Order: sequence, then C-alpha cells, then structure tokens
Amino acid sequence: MSTDDLTDDLTRNTANAPPELLTRSFFFLCAVLSIFVTIGIIGLLVTEAAKFFSITAPLMGVEGPTASVVDFLTGTEWIINNEQFGVLALVTSTLMVTFGSALIALPLGVGTAIYLSEYADPQLRAVLKPALEILAGIPTVVYGFFALIYITPALRVVFPSIGTFNLLSASIVVGIMIIPMVASISEDAMSAVPDDLRQAGYGMGATKFEVSTGIVVPAALSGILSSFILALSRAIGETMAVTVAAGAQAKFHNPFNPAAYLDGGSPMTATMVNLLTGDVTGGGLAYRSLFAIGLTLFVITFAMNVISELIAQRYREEY
Amino acid sequence: MATQDRSSYAEGFGQVSRTVGTVFRYLLLASTLFGIAVLAILLVYVANDAVQPLTADPGWHLTFFLTLVLPTLATAGYLAATNLEALKFGSMTIGLIVVSLLFSGGVAIIFIEVLAPLVWFAYVLAFAVPTVLMIALQRRSRQLSFLTRFVVVALAFYTSLFGLPGVVPSVAALVQSAPFVPLDWVLLTLTLGLFASAPTASYAAGIRDRRTGLGVGVLALAAVAASPFIGPPVFGIGTVPSVILASVTVVPTVAFVGGTAVTREHARIGILVPLLIVGGALAGEVLVDTLGYAGPQSWVDWQFLTSDHSGTAEDAGLYPAIAGSILLMVTVAALSFPVGVGAALYLEEYAPDNRITRFIDVNISNLAGVPSVVYGLLGLGLFVTQLGRPSGTIFVGGATLALLILPIVIISSREAIRSVPDEMRQASYGMGATKWQTVKNVILPRAFPGILTGTILALGRAIGETAPLIMIGAPNVLFSFPSELSSKVSAMPLQVYSWASYFATDAFYEKAVPAGVVILVTVLLAMNSIAIVLRNRYEQET
Repeated sequence: MSTDDLTDDLTRNTANAPPELLTRSFFFLCAVLSIFVTIGIIGLLVTEAAKFFSITAPLMGVEGPTASVVDFLTGTEWIINNEQFGVLALVTSTLMVTFGSALIALPLGVGTAIYLSEYADPQLRAVLKPALEILAGIPTVVYGFFALIYITPALRVVFPSIGTFNLLSASIVVGIMIIPMVASISEDAMSAVPDDLRQAGYGMGATKFEVSTGIVVPAALSGILSSFILALSRAIGETMAVTVAAGAQAKFHNPFNPAAYLDGGSPMTATMVNLLTGDVTGGGLAYRSLFAIGLTLFVITFAMNVISELIAQRYREEY
Repeated sequence: MATQDRSSYAEGFGQVSRTVGTVFRYLLLASTLFGIAVLAILLVYVANDAVQPLTADPGWHLTFFLTLVLPTLATAGYLAATNLEALKFGSMTIGLIVVSLLFSGGVAIIFIEVLAPLVWFAYVLAFAVPTVLMIALQRRSRQLSFLTRFVVVALAFYTSLFGLPGVVPSVAALVQSAPFVPLDWVLLTLTLGLFASAPTASYAAGIRDRRTGLGVGVLALAAVAASPFIGPPVFGIGTVPSVILASVTVVPTVAFVGGTAVTREHARIGILVPLLIVGGALAGEVLVDTLGYAGPQSWVDWQFLTSDHSGTAEDAGLYPAIAGSILLMVTVAALSFPVGVGAALYLEEYAPDNRITRFIDVNISNLAGVPSVVYGLLGLGLFVTQLGRPSGTIFVGGATLALLILPIVIISSREAIRSVPDEMRQASYGMGATKWQTVKNVILPRAFPGILTGTILALGRAIGETAPLIMIGAPNVLFSFPSELSSKVSAMPLQVYSWASYFATDAFYEKAVPAGVVILVTVLLAMNSIAIVLRNRYEQET
C-alpha cells in the first residue's frame, strides 16, 4: 500500500461514495413510499368518489346515474336497488357501535393502565402485558363469530327481543378488542410521569389511591385523551367483527335510543364489505358508492388521528 | 373548644381509611382481568365446540391424565419450586417443538402443492452462483472500484436468474432442463439440509471450536440425509415430508437442547419436561389403543386440515386456505420487511431534521391509523382497476397487506434501531467506518431481534386480516390450489368468514367454523408467543 492510497483513504469524502449514495437513496425511497401511499389513498378515494356525486361527475367525464351530495350526506335510507344513498343510515350504526364500545373500553382501559403502571409488581406485569397484547392479536373475524354465536345467545337471556344480528354484541366485542390500545398508550403516558411528583404526593401524606387519581392521572391526561381518540378511531374503522355481528340491513337508528342496540344495523365498514361480496359490477354506481363511503370513513378517522396527535402535543405536560 | 379540636385532630392523625384504596385496587385488577377473562371463556367455548372433549370415553381422559398430565405437572411443579431455570429451558424446548412442527407443516405444504423441489433447487442454485461471485469480488475490493463490482454482480444475478434471451440461458432454466434430475428428497436435502446444518455448525463452533462445529454440521446433514430412509417405514410419512421434518424440526430442536445442555449445566435437568410430555403422549396413545377407549369426536383433525371446502360441514376442510395464508405471509414478508426496515433506517440514521422528515414522520403515524378496509379499497383501485391486475390474486393480496402493515413495521423497527446505544455508533465512526458500514455491521445486527419481533407481530396482523382480501376480490371459496403469484388466493380468516356468512347453517356454526377458528387462533398465538419470547430474551440482553 502506498502512502498516496493512505492519504486518499484518510481524507476522501465518503458521504457520496457509490455504496453510500446507493444505500442512502434506497432507504430514502423506502421512506418516501409512505407519502406515495397516502397520496394514492387520498387521490383514489377523491377521484372515484367524485365520479359518484352529480356535482363533480361531469368534471370527471362520467355519464350515467349519479347521486347528489346533499342526499348522500343527509339521506337516511341506504337502498342500493332504489339508488338511495343516504350515508346517515350507515353513520348512525357506526356511531352507536363506537359509543357502545367506548363505554366498555375507556373505563376498563384506563383502569388497566393505572393498575399496570402504579399497582402491579414487575412479575405480574410481565404476565399481564403479553396477555393484553393477545387480546389485540386475535383476528377481528373471530371476534365477530364470538359475538354472533356465543354473546348474542347469552344476551338473549337478558333481552328476549334481541335480534340475531345486533349492535349490542358488536359493541361488546369491539370494546374488548380496543381495551389493549387504550391501556398501552395510557400506560406509556402514566409511566412517563416523573417519580418526583409521586414522592411529593406521598410526602404530603397522600395515600396511593390519592396519588394515582389525584396526581398521576391528571399529569398523564393528554396521553390518556389521545389514547381515547385513537381507540375510537380504531372502533370506527373496525370491519369484520361488525360485519359478522351487526348484519347487513342498513337502518337509520336514533343513536340516543338504547333500545336500538338490540336491533341490527350496517355500519360503514360492514356496508363496504357487503357491497363487494354482493354483486357489484365494476364501474357501476354501487361500485362508486363504495369509494364515497370509503372517503367518508377516511376523513373521519384521519381527522381523529390528527386531533389525537394535536391533543398529545398541545396539552403535554413538560417535565 | 379549641383544645378539643386539637386533640381530636391529633387522634385522627395518621389514621386514614384504607377501604377506598383497597376497593380501588381490586376494581383496577378486575378491569385488567375483564377482557382477558372474557376472551379466555370464549376461547374455551370455541375449543369445546371444535374438539368436543366430552365425547371421549372417561377411560380415555383417565389414561391421558395418568400418563401425560400428572407426571408433567408433578415434574413442572417440582422444578418450579427448586430450579426455575430448568423449567424455563424445558418449556422453551416444548415451545420450539410446537412452533417448528407448525413451521415444517407450512414448508411441507409449499413443497408438496405449490413449489416443485426442482424449481426451488434451480432458483437456490441460481442465487448461490452470483452470491459466491459477489463474495469473491468483495475480497478484491482494493483493485476494483465499487461501480465495476456492482455492475458485474447485478449482471451476474440477472443472468443467473432470468438469462439473456437468445444468448445465455439462465442457471435456473439450465437446471430445470437438465437431462438427469435427482430425486426430490435429494434436492431438498442439498438445500434445506444445508440451510439447517450450516447455522447448527456455526452455533456449535461458537460453543467449542471450529472442528467440533464442522463435525456437528456434518452430523446434522447426515441426519437429514438419513431421514428419508427412516421416515417412511417407521412413521409412515413420505420421503419429502421426512426431509422437511428432519431439517426444520429435528435438527434445530436437537441443536438447541444439546447446546443448552452443554453450556448451562444447571438447567440440564429441564429436558425432563419435554421428554415426559412426548413420552406420556405416546404411552397414552398406545394404552388407549389397546384398552379400546374412544377419543373425542374432534372436528379439528387430519381430514379437516387436508381437505378442500365442501358444502357439507362434516367434509369441509381448510387446506387451500392454509396454503393461501402461507403464500400470502411469504409475499407480505418479502415486500414489507426490506421496505419497512429501509424506511426506518432512513428516518433514524440518515434523515436530516427538516420539514420533509417531519412530514414523513407524521404521515407514517397517520397511515397506521387508516382502517384496513380503506387499504382494501386502495388495493382494489390501484392494483386491480388502475394497473389492470386480475383481482384476488396472491400478488395483489400480498401487496395490499404489505402496504397495510408497512407503517407498523416502520414504527417498530425505528424503536429497535433507536434502542441501539449511541456509543456503538460513535465507536464505529471512530474506527473510520462509513455510515453504511456502521449501519450494516453495528446497527442492524444489534437491532435485528427487535426488528424481527415487530415484523412477526405485524405479520400476525396481516394474516388475521379479512377485509382487505374481500375488497380486492379474493374468492370466498377456493377448491384449487394457488400455485403462482397470479393465481387466486383464499386465506384462513376469509374461509372462516365465508363459512360463517354464506353457509350460515347450524352445522357450519357448530363444526367447521369453530374448527377453523381454533386453527387460526393457534397459528396467531404461536406467532405472538414467538415475538414475546424473542423480545424478552432481547430485553434481558440489553
């Protein structure tokens, strides 16, 4: 090896040497792919949904039947064969399942998070945390089957008038499914609360109960709230459990009427699945309505994710 | 008045009611256990429907209780009290056996139904030839510039795999058109056997020395080569499954047991647990046969695993769906793993802190929250409608599911990469390594277990998904086998869904669906436990 080589090796700029450039560009492309996925989703949903609505369809050069935006957003009947596309019939079912599952998952999830972060000893945690992960790992179609075969008959003992397909059993399984999500994000937030605050509480003579509810939970509130919103957005997007358990009959329910839970409904996601398993011909109005529902769903879940992120950032207590 | 107040204050001082705290604590415990308990009850119900343990003779239960359950529990209890490490070793061995058996089942399905061993061998050889060339060129990196080497290697890979049409045939095609072709099991021994014995050899060499390693490797290869002569007469299975079983299950298990027994003398006794379980099961089987006790009328049986769908619940099987799930999993892993890890590496190691990076960052966490049906729509609109691919194929399904789990893979890989201590990077740069050398030699090996854990969990999510497959038009019922990337695919959850919704009769609800659910949940639990065990070991190390 000559000295020239050595000087060269020691002083050359390696940042743009071919292997470096090649690998860095590959990794960059991988990262940028995620942006293209987002653009793809938004572009596809918007263009296909635009072909569905009468206002925008001429711009897209679509001929044939279209649906009015106003009817879509305010109509309460969803009957494909009559070309009645009232998305409210679907949105109310979605809202009911979301609300019902929230009633189960939010208190239980926060309770779990407090227990895991404040009370459980490390050995118990090592068992409970994987067990909770398994709750989230069971396929959603299995949850739907459980709701249909085991939970609905059990509920029939209490509510004899409950239908084979009903929103109550769907809400219960979706609730169980999203407990781990609430629990793990809230627990992260609670674990991030510095120990000094707890010690200060104990120093003032507070009990463990007072420290947990009066200090840890308020300090972790932003994380807990953002976990709520993420879990609700997950419940809105949940598909197979509600498809199997809630049925395919699109009905407009009064979301504030508890008795409606005993009846079936067709949430947005379930309607999309049922549209495709039925006989939707490519390019027809029913096919495009799929993308209109998809756009509605995407906008709602996307907004919730953004809000959750904003809450987590805006109200984060800095320690 | 004042004195009285003070005295009562003094009396109450230090006395706080503990009732609220105790009640609160148990409420919290109850809320933690609620979901787990509900799921456990539901799983017991569905397992009862699928396996029907109550239909067996009481004598059957008694025999297995005496030969299998009692000795295992007694030994496990004794070990738990005296030697926890040994018990851990024993349960790890059992877990390894179960997981590797599942794995060999999957590999066997692929080789028997989908991929002819000759094609597989041809492509392995076509990969091996340029890889050897690449390593040879790497040695001469001082004389040749990177670009020359890169072009030569890329050309070699292309020629070897696809050939230059009309000029040079590819290695893969050459092998497949060879006039004389060895038997299937020979081909598999040469490939799978080598894949199994090479790591075994390096594991053994790490414990003792190179010579021992070489000896162990040769021994392992010999064992795989001998398996086709032992399998058919003794266990009544074909030669191809024998080779697969030997190289995927037997060699790794024996290597793990042997290695642990040599390195950790204290835990050696734990081998009793798997021996008792296997021995007890065999003894129970023999006893039950001779005494004539009937087993349970389980719906999860060999017939269910190996037959196609049928209109009657008793004859319906899961075989094409299992194969479809395996093929989907392979496709999803191949597509999402490199891209996900690449993106994570860019964001953690390369990305400057600017707007684009932050945008990508926010974008990925938003993508993780997009519902799976919407990804299904993307797959339908992008691959099927826009690109004109046929609907419901393995490629379209795999690509859609890969996009779905990509954000999860990226997020978990980033966490694993972030947990690599900064000192190691600095040390590597201090030695004069470039960024890519640091990534390749320091960061990736260190972060690999964490990345693998996240990827396995994400893959579990992917094979449990149904909605995207429905959206891209995967058939509800599949009779024929998917054989290439462009053939229609079904999957286990999709099959369960179609039984539960299109064949909604009591017979299906009571027989086929519970059996399908049991298989699906078993596979997913196995994957989750692999991930959890991997993570625990990894966390102990760091």
